[in-house]
Amino acid sequence: MSTQPALVSENVQAIENLEGGPARGGSFRGRRIGGDSWTTTFLLALCSLTVLIPLYVTIAMAFKTTEQAVEGSAFSLPAPFSIDGFREAWSLTDFPRAFTISLLVTAGTVFGTIILAAFASYAISRNWERRLFRYSFFYLLAAMFIPFPVLALAQIRLTGLAGLDNPAGVTLLHIMFQLSFSVLLFTAFLRSIPMELEESARIDGASTWQTFWHLIFPLLAPMSATVGIFAFLASWNDFMMPSLITSDPSLQTLPVVQSIFQTQFSNNYNVSFASYLMAMAPAIIVYIFTQRWVMAGVTQGAVKG
Amino acid sequence: MAQRTLTTGGKGAVARVPIDPPARHTGDTADTDVGGSFTLYNGSSGTFLPVKEGNDVMATVKFDQASRIYPGNDTPSVDRLDIDVADGEFLVLVGPSGCGKSTSLRMLAGLEEVNDGKIWIGDRDVTDLSPKDRDVAMVFQNYALYPHMTVADNMGFALKIAGVDKGEIRKRVQEAAGILDLTDYLERKPKALSGGQRQRVAMGRAIVRSPQVFLMDEPLSNLDAKLRVQTRTQIASLQRRLGVTTVYVTHDQIEAMTMGDRIALLKDGILQQCATPREMYDRPNNVFVAGFIGSPAMNLVSVPVTEDGVQFGSHRLHVDRSLLGSSGNEVIVGMRPEDVEVTTNEDGLELIVDVVEELGADAYVYATPANPDIRLEGVGDDALAKPFIARVDGRRVPDKGSKIFVYPNPDHMHVFDKESGARLG
Ligand SMILES: Nc1ncnc2c1ncn2[C@@H]1O[C@H](COP(=O)(O)OP(=O)(O)OP(=O)(O)O)[C@@H](O)[C@H]1O
Ligand SMILES: [Mg+2]
Repeated sequence: MSTQPALVSENVQAIENLEGGPARGGSFRGRRIGGDSWTTTFLLALCSLTVLIPLYVTIAMAFKTTEQAVEGSAFSLPAPFSIDGFREAWSLTDFPRAFTISLLVTAGTVFGTIILAAFASYAISRNWERRLFRYSFFYLLAAMFIPFPVLALAQIRLTGLAGLDNPAGVTLLHIMFQLSFSVLLFTAFLRSIPMELEESARIDGASTWQTFWHLIFPLLAPMSATVGIFAFLASWNDFMMPSLITSDPSLQTLPVVQSIFQTQFSNNYNVSFASYLMAMAPAIIVYIFTQRWVMAGVTQGAVKG
Repeated sequence: MAQRTLTTGGKGAVARVPIDPPARHTGDTADTDVGGSFTLYNGSSGTFLPVKEGNDVMATVKFDQASRIYPGNDTPSVDRLDIDVADGEFLVLVGPSGCGKSTSLRMLAGLEEVNDGKIWIGDRDVTDLSPKDRDVAMVFQNYALYPHMTVADNMGFALKIAGVDKGEIRKRVQEAAGILDLTDYLERKPKALSGGQRQRVAMGRAIVRSPQVFLMDEPLSNLDAKLRVQTRTQIASLQRRLGVTTVYVTHDQIEAMTMGDRIALLKDGILQQCATPREMYDRPNNVFVAGFIGSPAMNLVSVPVTEDGVQFGSHRLHVDRSLLGSSGNEVIVGMRPEDVEVTTNEDGLELIVDVVEELGADAYVYATPANPDIRLEGVGDDALAKPFIARVDGRRVPDKGSKIFVYPNPDHMHVFDKESGARLG
């Protein structure tokens, strides 16, 4: 969980780069190396420590033996180097099962969010002058300001009634909670796609549906990657929603299953940290790969001569 | 023009394509010969694009009192437009900025609602059809190439949507690419092309479809001056070879004059005149047309009416009284720079020479009336600072600052009503 802020802030920069113009983030790193920017760099480096130090402790702890973890300083290097923590965490959490459920929920959320948000944004931005569409946009925005805990009780009841007190229900709710922000991102991006492209497609004989799939959706790719990363992180790391919605403990996602370490085995630091590390790995891997893709900037040279 | 070979950068295409179109589709002479002669170049013999297989559909275009008023505007942007375009004709819509050219074209494409009147393509009333059902292809000013597709995919997109099979698409794209000299670029993305190449891809995308009508909205305005002149000829000759009815929008009257079979001149959404370039030049309908067509522009001078004609400075011009009939005591006389008689005798309108532009054989004299009360009528932004322009023999040019007298060649002068601007006679 502790790594999320760092990932997100990187992400926001990626969006800025996408939105065109001279790369703002990069310019002060690259060119202006005056006194000003050294201060900034120093402060940023200091801030990054708040992420890097816990990360180091996590990794170091995970590779220690139980004895060393309990006795030694948190900052010491693991000696001997041990993977017992991983082995134990694997069996205690029934890792493969929890991992699979987490993966399904997350994949469903990412896929569902991208498709639904892209549909909604396209409909809204191309029908902006109609009241129904405009208001539905504001309605979605308003939803962004309602945190889950406020609605939790009602939603637990409702999902229970609908037979959705399982990972499917969690997926659905994750999608709903991602929708607002994703639609916001998509609509902003859609406005920058020149109308001529769509008009050209329509004259070329494409229906609205075909225009969307052949033209709009591919052009949205960089923004879809961004939206997907947000959805992935939110869903993969979420503890609250699955823990409240899913009634069957054997169908819990990874973060919820890991919570056992905070209670039952409170001194097994190496096991719990190993488990956290295993849970974190996919997030980091996904991030590293999609980040490059986001940067690709597919729309460059779209229309201008 | 019909005999000109296509010079799209040279090699390849030109060599393969014998350019000798037996039937030139001029305006109303859409004869039955057309279909037959084009089958010579038709299809997979690799010689020419399939021109509208079974070319018996007459692709005429008819604006019938078509009007467009944008929501929120008081005046229509296109006001009861009436134009008939013949099968295979190249019609140029021209006019100053904001006159409604693009709007008219977009109405024909189906991108803009028609608020009143009708639009016909052939014998189909397309007024309420969606763009995809109209069988038109459009070249946009900024080309609107699909940025994520290769050149080949861009050109084949419409066919793919239409469900044409892959082999056929590839063949037709290849043929079009050959003609437009794009064969080497088929696998590139648009962003890796020069402006001129993008322009040709946009053309190719239209050609591949072999639609009933080509629509082009200022397709050359993003090119540099030299390329523009070159491409102008290429488009015109290509259109003639394909024989596809074309409506072309430009604000450049030279483009209009050189490319069009006929020109339709718009102003404030109202059609001023629709005629051949020659006729527009020789018999402009009104002052606006007179001032817009031709470069340098026609000289337009308000002059008093006399019993048997008009008084042009100290020169009397005979004009049939019946023509002047209803107009008041002043009319506007127009003459093109080449129809101006220049003398040093005190005969005609007295002018002071400002500038002489030497062109070798000829020279243009830019002058202002010595009498500041004489007003030169103009069209467009620079109407106030408009000089009087006369073409003179390059060997006998007046000096700067000298006095000259001018009057129009009576055989080539134009008389317009002062109030309405309409042509008299
Ligand atoms: N979407 C719109 N809403 C309201 N008015 C519009 C809209 N589009 C165009 N107009 C108005 O309609 C008139 C004609 O516009 P149009 O784009 O057809 O001009 P044009 O002849 O193509 O000019 P240009 O040579 O500058 O492209 C203009 O006065 C313009 O202000
Ligand atoms: Mg325009």
